[in-house]
Amino acid sequence: MVTASTEVTPRGITSRPNLVSVGTIIWLSSELMFFAALFAMYYTIRSVDKGLGQPWPQAHLDLRLATINTIVLLLSSVTCQMGVFAVERHQIRRGGRIWNVPGWGLREWYVLTFFMGLYFDLGQGWEWLSLIHDQHVTVASSNYGSVFYLTEGFHGLHVAGGLVAFLFLLGRTFAAKRFTLEQQTSAIVVSYYWHFVDVVWIGLFTTIYLIH
Amino acid sequence: MKVESYLFLGCATFFGASDVVYWYFSHDPTGTTALALAVCLAFLVGFYLLFTGRRLPERPEDNPDGEIDEGVGELGFFSPHSWWPLFVGLAAATAALGVAVGWWLFLIGMLATLLAVIGFVFEYYRGHYAH
Repeated sequence: MVTASTEVTPRGITSRPNLVSVGTIIWLSSELMFFAALFAMYYTIRSVDKGLGQPWPQAHLDLRLATINTIVLLLSSVTCQMGVFAVERHQIRRGGRIWNVPGWGLREWYVLTFFMGLYFDLGQGWEWLSLIHDQHVTVASSNYGSVFYLTEGFHGLHVAGGLVAFLFLLGRTFAAKRFTLEQQTSAIVVSYYWHFVDVVWIGLFTTIYLIH
Repeated sequence: MKVESYLFLGCATFFGASDVVYWYFSHDPTGTTALALAVCLAFLVGFYLLFTGRRLPERPEDNPDGEIDEGVGELGFFSPHSWWPLFVGLAAATAALGVAVGWWLFLIGMLATLLAVIGFVFEYYRGHYAH
């Protein structure tokens, strides 16, 4: 007969998968399906328009601006990960002077990431303004306009959502007087989201700007 | 956590093979794209479980001789009760209604959503719970 041992050591929170991060990954995988619909829409309209003998893309896209934007967003993933490494060594604020980059904590890295993400969204807005004013491509002007603004727009909204998350996370580091595991968890799941948005952009950039 | 990760990675492999066959027979960009992202969906979860499982000690679930009580201990933080999700929901509903009614209601709804989300995010960081 097997009996359960009466002396069981309670398992700490770090000995099992973090529920918040598991939930975030499941949610992000469902977000992939959201973007799957957008990608499928784009490719459907593209194949229909090309079948009708229409040109694709039906606008002159600024590849140089988009490439710089993409590089900034890719680098922001690196700075975000540096923030995660900082929070994993329980370092919220910088150790030395502000220009001593290796001594940066979570706060400095995430503020930098925030501004890089902001640059991306503003750069995209700038491109949209020139498309609307100079080339008269709007969401209602053509099939191409619709799929272009819907795919880029929903991605831009995701970036904006990430920016809000960075602000809330930074706000929490100022609201709390001491470091908690919860802050580490929040920082890590926000970084998951940010990497996800970044990877989706690589797909979108290839789809919209490179595949003609 | 190997079994879970292999399940999801197996799904990813299956979707990948289906995708190639689908494209070969149909040349349909819509379904091919959707299937390609289904590969990513399964791969994301599978990779996460494999990667996380390597960093964690063996769980009682992974042990064929494991007992229920071996799983006792802290699970995480759970809010005992909170009114904020209700306010976030009401505020978001107001903003969504504003899209149909008019910009003035949308702006009010967005402002209310912002305030409710701030309350939600900082609920356990102020007042009695400040730490």
